[in-house]
Amino acid sequence: MKKKTAFRLMVVVAVVSGLALVLARAGTIPEWLYLAVLVAGFPLFVVFLGLWWMAREGDADIPFMGY
Amino acid sequence: MIPYLLFATAFGLLLLGIHRKMIARIQRRPGPPVWQEILHALKFSFKSTWVPATASEVLFVSVVLIAIGIWTAAFFVLVTGGSLLIIFAIYMLHKIVEHGFGLSSGSPYGKFGGVRSVISAASEIPLFVSVSAVAIFTGSLQISDIIAYQAESGPLFFAIPLAALALYLVILSKFPSSPFAIVESKEIVSGYKTEHFGVWRAGLETCNGLKTYVLLLTFLSVFVGAIPFIGVLLAMILIVVSLAFVCALCPMLSPFDSVTIQTIITGIMLIYVLYLGAFG
Repeated sequence: MKKKTAFRLMVVVAVVSGLALVLARAGTIPEWLYLAVLVAGFPLFVVFLGLWWMAREGDADIPFMGY
Repeated sequence: MIPYLLFATAFGLLLLGIHRKMIARIQRRPGPPVWQEILHALKFSFKSTWVPATASEVLFVSVVLIAIGIWTAAFFVLVTGGSLLIIFAIYMLHKIVEHGFGLSSGSPYGKFGGVRSVISAASEIPLFVSVSAVAIFTGSLQISDIIAYQAESGPLFFAIPLAALALYLVILSKFPSSPFAIVESKEIVSGYKTEHFGVWRAGLETCNGLKTYVLLLTFLSVFVGAIPFIGVLLAMILIVVSLAFVCALCPMLSPFDSVTIQTIITGIMLIYVLYLGAFG
């Protein structure tokens, strides 16, 4: 995945989570829905943040299979 | 909730760092700084990242997302006073996720770790039987009810210490260098997480931090009850220090011995719960 794509997806997840927070505070959406958005959003945010931040994307390699 | 979630993840990683530092000091080594696990998570985030050629790409990536997701859900269930059964269900899901981690990479070490995860699940999960002792006393498995009961009748830790010990053993088995940590013992490199490196490992570290916080908060909520937030943090540190003593002084058990000991303890707990049910 390109770093620019990872960054865009990370921002989308952050905005959706922030929006859910605002809507839950305003009483527009129920609390459980806000928490459900965070349950789905937090892992995606962590991984996209890492994919944006990572040094580089390496080539696939075969793991060490033992002697 | 978002700031608390981020705090819980960072504090969980800090607790794992304190755990490592304590083990090192007990063994008369300098050890890493207490924030080492936080640095680990950050360090892995800017390493080169790829999916091994032998891996199942979808499973390899999705287990990382699922691992963080399930513990995020457990965190919310816990802080909103939900059912203890859901937290235990998530614990069981985590064992399946560990299995998925191990099998997804195509590495033999990962596979060994994944298989051991299933073996250990067979003996760790029955330890939860001890929590039926909690239901006998409180008449509920809702965390909010359990906390309310303890506000009136005092901490369950003093009423059913053996049940607390059983849950303590479950937490112990999830800590690194524990006598029961057979899923990531050194003879299989890093076990189920051997091939998850770079961003994937950073995600796994995030999951570990959150998992540590959730398990310790579950223990405190179920056996101590409502205490001030700063008290919760200090109690967590105390539990981690006690776990570090066990981990530093006890050798890592072989898979067979680990399962045998946990099964014997489960048997004792069953007798204890039956006794409480009949005479408690």
